[in-house]
Amino acid sequence: MEELQDASIHHMTAKVIAAIKNTKCYEPIYKELQRLVCSPNVDTHDMRNTLEDAIKGAGLETEIRNIVYNLVRSRLTKTDDKGLTHKQTSKPTVSDPLGYLKRAGVLWDRRVRKSLNAMCTELKVPLHGQPRISADREDFMAKWNELSNYNMDLANYRPVYAPKDLLEVLLSLKGPAKTTENTDQIPQWEFSHIALPVKNLFELRGHYADLLRSDSYLGVPDLTVQCQRILEGRHAPMCQQFLKKGCTPAPYRGALWASVLDSKLHDYDIDYWHKLRNAVWTTDHIVDKLVFKDIQLTASNDDQYFVFEDVLYQVLLCFSRDTDIGSCVDYETFPVKGKTYEGPPSGVVPFHGICMFAAPFCYLYDSPVNLYYTFRAFYIRYCHRLTTINTHPQGIVSLCLLFEKLLQTYEPQLWSHFRELQIQPLRVVFKWLMRAFSGHLPPDQLLVLWDLILGFDSLEILPLFAIIILSFRKESIMQVASLDNIEAILADLSSIKVLPLVQLALSRD
Amino acid sequence: MKKQTRTLRNLRQRQGGSSSSEDDSANIKLLTSPLIRRRTKTDKTPKGMFYSTDWAKTALVTNFHKRGWQEVPAFGGDWNFYWAGTQNCRYIFGIDHPYRMRSDQIINHFPNSIELSRKDLLIKNIKRYRKDLERRGDPLAQTLSPDTKLGIGGTRYKHLDIIPMTFVLPADYQLFVEEFHQSPASTWIVKPCSKSQGVGIFLVNKLSKLKKYACEARTFCPQMSRGTCVVVSKYIKNPLLIGGKKFDLRLFVLVTAFAPLKAYLYKEGFCRFCTEKYDQAEIDNVFMHLTNVSIQKTNQEYNSIHGGKWPLQNLWLYLDSLRGEGISHLLWHRISETIRHSLDAVAPVMANDRHCFEVYGYDIIIDDNLKPWLIEINTSPSMHSTTANDRMLKSRLIDNVLDVVVPPNSMPDEHWDKTPRPELLKNFTVLMPIPLAKKLPAVVVRSPKKRPARRRRAGSRVQPAQEDSSSAVSQRKK
Repeated sequence: MEELQDASIHHMTAKVIAAIKNTKCYEPIYKELQRLVCSPNVDTHDMRNTLEDAIKGAGLETEIRNIVYNLVRSRLTKTDDKGLTHKQTSKPTVSDPLGYLKRAGVLWDRRVRKSLNAMCTELKVPLHGQPRISADREDFMAKWNELSNYNMDLANYRPVYAPKDLLEVLLSLKGPAKTTENTDQIPQWEFSHIALPVKNLFELRGHYADLLRSDSYLGVPDLTVQCQRILEGRHAPMCQQFLKKGCTPAPYRGALWASVLDSKLHDYDIDYWHKLRNAVWTTDHIVDKLVFKDIQLTASNDDQYFVFEDVLYQVLLCFSRDTDIGSCVDYETFPVKGKTYEGPPSGVVPFHGICMFAAPFCYLYDSPVNLYYTFRAFYIRYCHRLTTINTHPQGIVSLCLLFEKLLQTYEPQLWSHFRELQIQPLRVVFKWLMRAFSGHLPPDQLLVLWDLILGFDSLEILPLFAIIILSFRKESIMQVASLDNIEAILADLSSIKVLPLVQLALSRD
Repeated sequence: MKKQTRTLRNLRQRQGGSSSSEDDSANIKLLTSPLIRRRTKTDKTPKGMFYSTDWAKTALVTNFHKRGWQEVPAFGGDWNFYWAGTQNCRYIFGIDHPYRMRSDQIINHFPNSIELSRKDLLIKNIKRYRKDLERRGDPLAQTLSPDTKLGIGGTRYKHLDIIPMTFVLPADYQLFVEEFHQSPASTWIVKPCSKSQGVGIFLVNKLSKLKKYACEARTFCPQMSRGTCVVVSKYIKNPLLIGGKKFDLRLFVLVTAFAPLKAYLYKEGFCRFCTEKYDQAEIDNVFMHLTNVSIQKTNQEYNSIHGGKWPLQNLWLYLDSLRGEGISHLLWHRISETIRHSLDAVAPVMANDRHCFEVYGYDIIIDDNLKPWLIEINTSPSMHSTTANDRMLKSRLIDNVLDVVVPPNSMPDEHWDKTPRPELLKNFTVLMPIPLAKKLPAVVVRSPKKRPARRRRAGSRVQPAQEDSSSAVSQRKK
């Protein structure tokens, strides 16, 4: 048994080392190590101990620990998955119960890209962008800090897709094993036919146990002091653990998120940002227009975020040129016949409301560079799963399924009310789920919710929170009979407090 | 809509029966009649409140209806509650017509609140207040050391430097010129004494732009001074910028009495943003310097969905996240003190009519050292809503105001001591007298409940009283 354990640890270590060598931060750390080895503290006869002490003394130990932690959670699980799917796709797809879902995912992606390509041909611009004429470039560079004043004729541009388009596709997903029953009585819109594994409330309670536990036996904890100590330690798992409490003091939130998302700035990051910025300055891409249009339609009109529109322009323009994103994000693979279409450099086609993912970060960071890297990490880790059809246990499909199951089990009155009215309950909450409540909750509460997402490393809190809001406003909803009225009841979430509601949701049966 | 065409009827002179209000001469006869019969209240049910309003704004009317109050025309004089415009107030308080309010009537202005709203009178009152405190040797009038550089306030007061240096023209023209020459790189802002909505405001950095007032100062024309009175204040060149744009704060303060001062600051408010990025050098561009909505609205860049109004909560979140722990509390504390000083300054000259209360709109600008500056005080803050959020905020404000001013299930009564029940205060915080033994940074929001008196245990040292509502005299130093 022990030998097996040792072997697996050895195997894992080898994988981790191989992965570390591929990261950008390997070089600086290696150089630092070499410098330490040459320092007088390290004794060549007792290399191991003295070198370890030197590493701890220089603070490198925490950095290395953080790197290993982040690698293990992200890259290595991905490579494992890739290994599996590779095996799976070699077999025929009949045996895969989720094959149709993966196929839908690939098709959706292709449809979005096709739409983008069509827009390009319609407006006669090349998909890969064209160099800006020098006058335009000068103008752009001069107005880089106030892009809200940069005039662009956007009348012919429209967002490629909006949340409701994705919702329609999701609602029309059909599984292979469709029952041949008389489908007149049972509406076609339940997600229960999708065989995705989702947690039930009991499992959720286990996962979110830390929220219900209070450490008041230690006396009133001084959060600020705790925060400062944790940040001094710079240890990512500790930071993540702190975020689970849901009561982060505002000044430390930015630093904690950066630590958890592994987005601390190095020199090469700043250089890369400059490179992206130059790419935006020199080439004109159709996604620029889409970004402008999106911000003008959403963030500029939002009374919580309009102040930050200039920063949002910068961040999202650079985001759209960042090719690293395409390599970090995992897409579904499935053999599908037909043409493949190219997308923008980042691989992400901007949709209506994408800037709202970045908007809350404006409250946390002053400089666009910091904002960019943290937002990018957040997008790759979480937001991406909300905007494509995938089989990930936290993808939007799973979240929808979780929502429906919870609603059916714990709010049967609401469930039957919706059925009577022939309204899919998902229609009401989908826009919340897809945007992770950004733009619907006031910023201070939204940041608490995202603290919990980061702390527990899971998007499952979103459907849970949606359920508790519906349950909170149950009486009003039961009294109305149309989708518009229900939406009106749920339109104003400004009085909602996240933490007590989530604790309530988890603690009741 | 203003209903100024009808003269307001003084109810005490009613001889029973309704006479036509068109007949002015009849009214005057009534007013001068020695026989004044009191009107009985028997024809009103105890819970029947009548209101009148000169402004038919949603924020006001929905709250009146919510309470089941019925509207009556103002000129009829049957109202218990009157949300009046300034014209009608002038009539009611005017010395030409001895209009007396009944003891169950309450109105939303004090007789001489121009002491706060006119910019020349405000600065006069504040200067006098400072001098009084200094003369009394009050610790509040403490000054910093003589070699401290003078800031925008132009004084070295530690606590009373709350308003930018201001001169009234044409009277103080010579003083202004001296000051101008001492700091030639400075910018000044010129405002008419008693206009609103940004009308007539402009920035100057050259004396030549104020030639007009130089001439008036030299020629002695006292009758011109009232009409052409302007104030010139030092311009705050370094305002706090967010997103590169200048903004000011609009805060609401309810005052129910001036002696003793009972004032409440509303926790919600908003920041009004300019539509163009701030540039110190371009002084002619009103869109980057003047935050009045009425001006910004005319800019093409104006967005009517958010109206440039940012909820105050977002400002606190932003400052706490980016500037450090407790910054928002510190700033709120400073703002409360500034407002309290301004009210203390005018309290001695205000006519403390028991039928009155007032809701003031305070305009405050924060500079980049996080110091709040009092810009102006509005006695009729606009209840017009430019956006949906705005409408909800003003609605909540008026709801809260009405709860404090006319407690639920009771009628206005001039003999009431105007102490609201604590739970009615809701989003209002009481503006406390400023404690003299100042410890920084101080805790801000206190509940209006009275603290139980401290009892001395035998043999124990007398503890210094905590910062509470008892008068400053009882404070002892450690």
